[in-house]
Amino acid sequence: MSKGKFGYYNPQKPQENRITDVGPVHYMQLLPPSLRKNYGQWVSHRVIEPGILMHVAESGDKVYSVRCGGARIMSAEHIREICDIADKFANGYVRWTTRNNVEFIVDSEQKAKDLKKELDNRKFVAGSHKFPVGGTGNCITNIVHTQGWIHCHTPATDASGPVKVVMDELFDYFKSMTLPAKLRISLACCLNMCGAVHCSDIAMLGYHRKPPAEDHEVLGKVCEIPLVVAACPLYAIKPITLEDGRKSVTVNKEKCMYCGNCYTMCMALPLADKEGDGVAILAGGKISNRINPPKFSKVIVPWLPNNMPRWPEVVSTIKKIVEVYAKEANKYERLGDWAERIGWERFFEKVGLEFSWHLLDDYRLAYDTFRTSTQFKYTDHAWAVSKAAGVI
Amino acid sequence: MGIPGQEKLWDKEEKGHRTYNDVRIFTDDQLNNYTEEELKNFKNKHDIPMLEELEKGPWPSFVSDLKREALHRRKLGKDNLMIEQDVAEDLLGLMELSYKEGETHWKHGGIVGVLGYGGGVIGRYCDQQQKFPAIAHFHTVRVAQPGGKFYTTDYLRTFCDIAEYRGSGITNLHGSTGDMVILGTFTDQLEPIFFDLTHDLGVDLGGSGSNLRTPSDCIGPARCEFACYDTLDMCYNLTMTYQDELHRPAFPYKFKFKFDGCPNGCVASIARSDMAFIGTWKDDIRINQDAVQEYVANKIPRDGGGMSGKDWGKFDIQAEVIDLCPTKCMNWDGKKLTINNAECNRCMHCINTMPEALRIGKDTGVSILLGAKAPILEGAQMSVLTIPFAYAKNPYDNIKNGVISKIFDWWIEEGKNRERLGELIQRMGLKTLIEVLGIPAMPQMVKEPRSNPYVFFKEEEVPGGWTRDINDYRSRHPR
Amino acid sequence: MGREEDIRQAILDYGSKGAKSKFYFKDMLAGVKKVIPDAGASEVKNVASKMVAEGVMEYFSTGSSTMYGVKGRGISVEKSGDSGG
Repeated sequence: MSKGKFGYYNPQKPQENRITDVGPVHYMQLLPPSLRKNYGQWVSHRVIEPGILMHVAESGDKVYSVRCGGARIMSAEHIREICDIADKFANGYVRWTTRNNVEFIVDSEQKAKDLKKELDNRKFVAGSHKFPVGGTGNCITNIVHTQGWIHCHTPATDASGPVKVVMDELFDYFKSMTLPAKLRISLACCLNMCGAVHCSDIAMLGYHRKPPAEDHEVLGKVCEIPLVVAACPLYAIKPITLEDGRKSVTVNKEKCMYCGNCYTMCMALPLADKEGDGVAILAGGKISNRINPPKFSKVIVPWLPNNMPRWPEVVSTIKKIVEVYAKEANKYERLGDWAERIGWERFFEKVGLEFSWHLLDDYRLAYDTFRTSTQFKYTDHAWAVSKAAGVI
Repeated sequence: MGIPGQEKLWDKEEKGHRTYNDVRIFTDDQLNNYTEEELKNFKNKHDIPMLEELEKGPWPSFVSDLKREALHRRKLGKDNLMIEQDVAEDLLGLMELSYKEGETHWKHGGIVGVLGYGGGVIGRYCDQQQKFPAIAHFHTVRVAQPGGKFYTTDYLRTFCDIAEYRGSGITNLHGSTGDMVILGTFTDQLEPIFFDLTHDLGVDLGGSGSNLRTPSDCIGPARCEFACYDTLDMCYNLTMTYQDELHRPAFPYKFKFKFDGCPNGCVASIARSDMAFIGTWKDDIRINQDAVQEYVANKIPRDGGGMSGKDWGKFDIQAEVIDLCPTKCMNWDGKKLTINNAECNRCMHCINTMPEALRIGKDTGVSILLGAKAPILEGAQMSVLTIPFAYAKNPYDNIKNGVISKIFDWWIEEGKNRERLGELIQRMGLKTLIEVLGIPAMPQMVKEPRSNPYVFFKEEEVPGGWTRDINDYRSRHPR
Repeated sequence: MGREEDIRQAILDYGSKGAKSKFYFKDMLAGVKKVIPDAGASEVKNVASKMVAEGVMEYFSTGSSTMYGVKGRGISVEKSGDSGG
């Protein structure tokens, strides 16, 4: 057991007993025996009820997986509780999905149902579920997201908070399978997108609107200017000499796209700003190759305010989109497929969103998104153009 | 592979496997050191009224969870913890401040990890260190996750003890790239954590910076009938082959491998990895005609039961499968389903819709796609279909030698600082990429042929080359 | 001197005499190649990795990308985030 400040580590001899380059623990030793036995021999699956999957193997074996949601931030205490449940129901085996859900694998339908009941009954003292069962089939499963204010230096919004309030509102969709197709939501707290949200049915994207503020007082002392200059992907930072002879940098405000790479290198170029920062909403992307190829999400709301603690504008916008989609789309139609079928102009009309100039692409390759056709539908947006032009 | 002699270190089915009790740090009394009543009455050191609004509603509340960890640490006391006991309380306090002010309070630091490694740790410092001393340092430690993210409870409990004893006790399961993340520790605990991870858990750090990032996979053959290759084995094998690239940076920028077992893409490799391995097949979809009949007769629910929450009417195989097939290569005559497999583009729709009647082919492998990345700077890119089909069998030498090493060499040689592979492909063109790989062009690489005719021909393609004799020309065209 | 020593010296010279105290691998490789034109990427990487393990060189990370530097030159890794420097 490794106890005390340094444990096994001897700071005087850092190379002593050092183990390196061993990689991850081999997966096979952590697989439940039922999966080892039937490894690569699976025949089919069925979702028996929301949150319970049955997989059938060539051998005739059936395994039952119970899936529950959770916050991606998990305390050791919470993980230990998951372990207690796994020890009690699943022979001490448990796994996580790529969307931060937890799965327990058991050997009978009855055990799966008992486990589902147990999981649904466990709640935090303040009342929220600890392990809500769901996230299967045509549902809204867990939101994948980034760190936000809990750990990141360049976020334009929080991550865990907006995810919590959106999932609160969409909870019934997590626990049921009523949608025309899968609907995947994700959140990245700045445009660097360490969460890569750019192919999601609905994405929340934290967005800064103000360039960094130069802290000339200390910049030359605490930052290495060549590194700061080199950090900017748009070459918007130039070294300057202040009137009193001190060195600093200046940011070309017109060029800045608010990525925060300079702040990463230099704490004297802070980016965060309460009035400037907020959330953009994107929609219509997907990863799967099913029916049609993967597609990017499109910006449908350029900016909504960070209205803490429960982001009502973000929540209501997403809820509205989901509800209209759930009602109107054909079966098997992903959100983007639906919007393309009815036309994006009809999409904006139906979900009641403004279409402002911000949504007209003006970045590289923008022309590719312009409509060069006479095929369109009449909506209020169209009439407003004819009226404003004075031609009707 | 791994630590010699420890390949089955945690295997509960093996005699003499390691257990939590062998390496645990905390006693049972220490782990069960608070009551439900105490938790109800717990008051965080800093007031957090806004965060407590996030304890309402049905979805799991991270605030409630952090409060539980805060109480647990308070009761453990500083003598039983190697960083400040108030970490979770200060973190909640700092978050509350961000909620009031709408601004983050974290700064980046240049620290990278442990001696000899160029990645695995992200340096993080709080800019309100007087007010929140317990989180003055709050470095992230990325720990390589096991394939398929399967765990035994012995393994997880040991991980928890390390994360709590030497860190904040707060984790991400999992980080965006796939690592197990210990969220928050001080600089002096980085080496001890690394020693505990390697010695007690038998696990290594993950990647960060200009390294190969921790590769990740879908559940694959462990529990999915769509797995066209062994995603877990290939992910593990490549992770071990490229340990040096993962820990010691010499790339222009980050590089990600991801392994999807089929075109459904559960790990999003096509959107998120520089090199995506996506399972596919080259023979015929297997059809069980009896089961097709059962779908038609509504005896088996469509889409694996995943649409059963709403009444979508009687299953209509013509409308729901045949007509939605993107290549229209299927036919249903009322009795028999047939597929013109040569025309199939393996989109998975029919298989997803009738998983008990249709199965992927038997002659399976991977498609390799290159160049995905998030938006900065040229805009988001998805990966480009480059190798249509490759067999993917251990030890994967065909892929390592035929594709990966060529790509690495090219990118290290030609890539600019902080240029992702996809940006290099965009800058130098697919035509350069195929030369590097020694492969011919194929129409499958494009959505459609180019619409501009501005082809830059190679000199050797044009008879006589580009050296012109003006006198020869003038012999036909007087001035 | 042997080849490894030559490369080692070239890395040290590049790292301690250039304008930047921290630099990308690629720039360091180009610096070494000026002195040893046939030096290969993997060779230079291996020597640099050894120098890091010995504590002569150090890595500096922005989280997304990593740089090299001669230990002790410029703003140090340890101090880079502490209380605003």
